[in-house]
Amino acid sequence: MMLEDELTVSVRERDGIAIIDLIGDVTTFAEEKINTAYRDVTNRGARFVLLNFRQNDYINSAGIAILIGIVTEVNRNNQKLAVSGLSQHFQKIFRMVGLAQYAEIYQDEEEAVQSFKTQAAAA
Amino acid sequence: MSNDTSRPGAEEKIIELRLPSKLGYERVAMDTASSLAKRMGFDNDRVESLKTAISEAVTNAIEHGNQQDAAMKVVVLLTARDDELIISVADQGRKQLDADCTTRNPHIEDAMVNADKGGWGIWLIRELMDEVEFTTAPSGGNQVRMVIHLEQ
Repeated sequence: MMLEDELTVSVRERDGIAIIDLIGDVTTFAEEKINTAYRDVTNRGARFVLLNFRQNDYINSAGIAILIGIVTEVNRNNQKLAVSGLSQHFQKIFRMVGLAQYAEIYQDEEEAVQSFKTQAAAA
Repeated sequence: MSNDTSRPGAEEKIIELRLPSKLGYERVAMDTASSLAKRMGFDNDRVESLKTAISEAVTNAIEHGNQQDAAMKVVVLLTARDDELIISVADQGRKQLDADCTTRNPHIEDAMVNADKGGWGIWLIRELMDEVEFTTAPSGGNQVRMVIHLEQ
């Protein structure tokens, strides 16, 4: 039975933005994959990082703790972080927990990329 | 499902799940609760809240209460009433839940400076469910009872 590791993490670049695609569940099993992807884009000098979620993912409190780890690093490294593709429910959870104060929430990748491009042009 | 005929006019249906204490099995409880809640008429937003709450309760029971000993069971009782769904999650109590972790309000600013960034599970349950009660079962296990009301 596939009950455990159901997350695929991949990294790509678009218009100078590092996009980390997260397809699947963000639970305790996700920690190494997400941290590795984040370190990878950071080592390559990413200023703008987008966590691109697939709708209807299962994100639990262990996953939230991993994401708080990422926002902590993002702050330390002076990067900008955004998230996209979250379902309405997880957008609500991100606001409740306070993650939304540290990562702008966008409906989809397109919206996030446009916003980052505007911010980059203004900087 | 069994019908409780002791309450006239109110039909009560009970589903019992016995899950191995292995991470991942909380998804079985989530899927079952989600299916039941949809049939009862809960809207999507409430169903999602319920899924998060039950996943946190079962994950706590697996990881904490039963210390991930797969031979120990987590028992989930779903009681469907006309106007509410009651979810009880019980472990076998290898480790007791600290009373203060059932009332704590975590803050992201603290989590960002602490090595431990967790502790959100029980808080999420309290925020998302209409009634939440933590008790110790007669057998010594930890038990959480959650209620979600069906608004007509």
